[in-house]
Amino acid sequence: MDLRARLTRAALARPAVLLATSPGATRERLAVEAELGRRGWPSAAGPASADLLVFAGVPLPLRDDDWAERVWTAVPAPKARVTVTDAEHAAHTLDHGHRTLLTPAAHPAERHETATAAAPDHGPHDSQGSHGGMDHAHHGRPPGTVAGLPLAERAEDRDGLRLDRLHVPLGPALPDWPAGLVLRLELQGDVVRRAEVDPMPTPAASRPAFWSEPWLKALAGEPGTSGEAARRRCAAHLDSLGRFLGVAGWSDAATRARRARDRTLGDAHGEELRPLVHPLVRRVRKSRTLRWLTAGVGELPGGPVAGDAHSRLIGWLDGIEYALDAIGDRTPLADHPLIGPRGRVDDTEAPASRTLLAALPALLAGAEFACARLVVASLDPDLDELAARRAPDGRTHG
Amino acid sequence: MAEPAPPWAALVLPLALALVATALATADARSTGPGREVLRLLVQQRRITRAADVPLVRLATTLLPVAAVLAAAVLPLGFRPVSDLPDGIVWFNAMEALAWAAVWLAGWGPNSTLSLIGGYRFLAQGLAYELPHMLAITTAALGAQSLRVGAVADAQAGLWFAVWMPAAFGIYLLSALAMAFWGPFDQPVGRDTAGGAAAELSGVDRLVFLGGRRLLLVVAAAFSVPLFLGGGHGPLLPGWAWTLIKTAAVLGLLLWVRRRVPTVRTERYMELSWVVLTPLAVAQALVVAVVVLKK
Amino acid sequence: MSTAAFWALAVLAVASGIMVFRFDSMARATFSLLTALLCVGGELIVLGLDYLGVVTVLMMTIEMAIMAVFMIMFMMNPAGLMPMTMLHNRRGAALICAGSFTSLVVGILLVPWPRRVGRAPADPTMDLGMSLMGPQMLTMMTLGMALFATIVATVVLATRRGRYDRYGDDLRAARPDDPVRGGVGR
Repeated sequence: MDLRARLTRAALARPAVLLATSPGATRERLAVEAELGRRGWPSAAGPASADLLVFAGVPLPLRDDDWAERVWTAVPAPKARVTVTDAEHAAHTLDHGHRTLLTPAAHPAERHETATAAAPDHGPHDSQGSHGGMDHAHHGRPPGTVAGLPLAERAEDRDGLRLDRLHVPLGPALPDWPAGLVLRLELQGDVVRRAEVDPMPTPAASRPAFWSEPWLKALAGEPGTSGEAARRRCAAHLDSLGRFLGVAGWSDAATRARRARDRTLGDAHGEELRPLVHPLVRRVRKSRTLRWLTAGVGELPGGPVAGDAHSRLIGWLDGIEYALDAIGDRTPLADHPLIGPRGRVDDTEAPASRTLLAALPALLAGAEFACARLVVASLDPDLDELAARRAPDGRTHG
Repeated sequence: MAEPAPPWAALVLPLALALVATALATADARSTGPGREVLRLLVQQRRITRAADVPLVRLATTLLPVAAVLAAAVLPLGFRPVSDLPDGIVWFNAMEALAWAAVWLAGWGPNSTLSLIGGYRFLAQGLAYELPHMLAITTAALGAQSLRVGAVADAQAGLWFAVWMPAAFGIYLLSALAMAFWGPFDQPVGRDTAGGAAAELSGVDRLVFLGGRRLLLVVAAAFSVPLFLGGGHGPLLPGWAWTLIKTAAVLGLLLWVRRRVPTVRTERYMELSWVVLTPLAVAQALVVAVVVLKK
Repeated sequence: MSTAAFWALAVLAVASGIMVFRFDSMARATFSLLTALLCVGGELIVLGLDYLGVVTVLMMTIEMAIMAVFMIMFMMNPAGLMPMTMLHNRRGAALICAGSFTSLVVGILLVPWPRRVGRAPADPTMDLGMSLMGPQMLTMMTLGMALFATIVATVVLATRRGRYDRYGDDLRAARPDDPVRGGVGR
């Protein structure tokens, strides 16, 4: 028994962590990611490969669907879960989770049937015997469910064939995915036929959205320098860049982008950041493979984010370099136009991310799954901005 | 002429492959060492999803390492393979195709959309890489006028095939990455699908599947040595040492490529593969055929 | 040894062949069929026809994997646990099966089998190649071209979009109008 406990301890010295972020919890997510980077704990791509489930922000159920509970059941034992509600205490909470993971009581031996969280598994066709052969015809019937799992049904595909179509919710617990975004997809094979944006209900935030904080504060009349704002913008773009590269499957560059982001959000000087950021930006900008792979994906004819995924990426790279030069700027931010990392922050009617979300369904229809992920990552909407709209105190409204 | 290795070599082969794969994992270590990762997966519970086809999943996960080890049976260490089949090259190709079935089943079995997409992607990737890949290994066989792996290595006692068949060699390296769904060709187990074909595997299943993938990568890289890099031929050192050094060099190259290049998506690679690489491979085979006929 | 291998493979091939019709999931049926075909490939190897055996294994594996693509097109519920019978046209199938089985058995029993003349070649692969590309070369080349032409013709007939749809009526468009962009731009 002692040997067993010691083996478990050795095996779980560095647990794989699945991080599920709720909308409005960007600060907590960043704190946890930075702490994970420091400890060298690997991040799991899905619940099946995770040991420790970390919720950044209290996970709220989506309509009747308690997705957090589903993710939790999908994690194999031995497992532990913690919720980080305060960025300051991220390290402490992770320690607590690790301790729970190592306590023998925490691993029930029974195996249980589980459903996946990233996309709930959808089950077999019904077995009532209404279809006897390969040409199971259920054209006229509405999509049914068996054991709570939705069924596929036939529909026209991109090329005019009648093929099976599956209804799949995508999100909210996917790696490198905008926190709180849920897409209702209709999939044929791995081609998205239709997509609907179904953002999670965002809790009324007491603080302004993290990435547009400096500008929102300036709007509310609080003092702030444009250097601080440039630092935030640089980090925001590095965060978007890291996620985009993660989705594009370039983990090496993605890790560098995250590391640079964490240093930027710390109090590193511009001189200190340059050797971290410049080589990365240069490599990403020059990568012909990346251009070959992302050119023509998610093309928008006009608007603030016109162009394809690659041109949006280049836009971030330009923004990073520009902001990096301005980090030392001490002029008051209020003297500059109030444009945050994702667009104007002073538009009370529609925050920039709402425009980004509105562009999604048209771009996703007809895209292949991998392209759809790239499109979402290249727009990288920040749902915290929507949360801030509902904030009770007028300060964040501007 | 290659002499077959003693029978006990068949038992040593999987161990030797696992050893190289572990060394590879150590060189590639990101945060956790391979030993700890193996231990972590061993203490982890095996998990099943709702309405999964469990026998198919179990079959799929075990098939992958089995296919890799079977493919390695024709690999000469120095000049001695476990079995020097007269059609070794076709055998390697056939065993590597078994991986298609394995990955596809691993994606289909758990009854989950993301893993299904992963399995589906591997089939698309297979269709993209297989055509030029077959032509490339056929070119090597053509150059040696034999399908026997030992004979192909022997034909390169002087000039390596990689030198005068560079296109075939390059195509082979690409398809070695693609068949082990590794590095830039890791779309079937990509992070964007939360792990793709391996998304629902945990514990021992995950260990066997991902370990099998590493074995497959080692075997695919090692096979380029007798095919294009002169096998065990080289000055001073014995044949087995040269085989190991060359294999390590190829593996190092493949690891480096993985760091430098993002994931290649099949819809882009497919067109490149069929419109550019396949004609290139045919042209390379034609050149080699003319050279061989002139001799 | 080889007799034992022959019988083991034969029994396994027939058993998994039967299972194709007993399973009620398309994935299991497909891979049961693959097992049967792999056993047939193994039989060829046991009989000393290495090349043909290995090529059978290679081709059948890829073939069944491609079948899976169609499976997804028409049946997207993974794991395929919807019970679905693999039997169609039962009466006709039973008649055809019984008929062909009887005629095969009758053939086996009635045909005067020739005695073996000569000895097996040292390298059957070489002899196979010589025979295919020697006296039978014209046949094989014609067959190859005919197969290839059939594939091309089928694709041309099946696709809805031609070059005028992709490059415009004057074929001048710089980039083809495809649902998903490819890697070369052709």
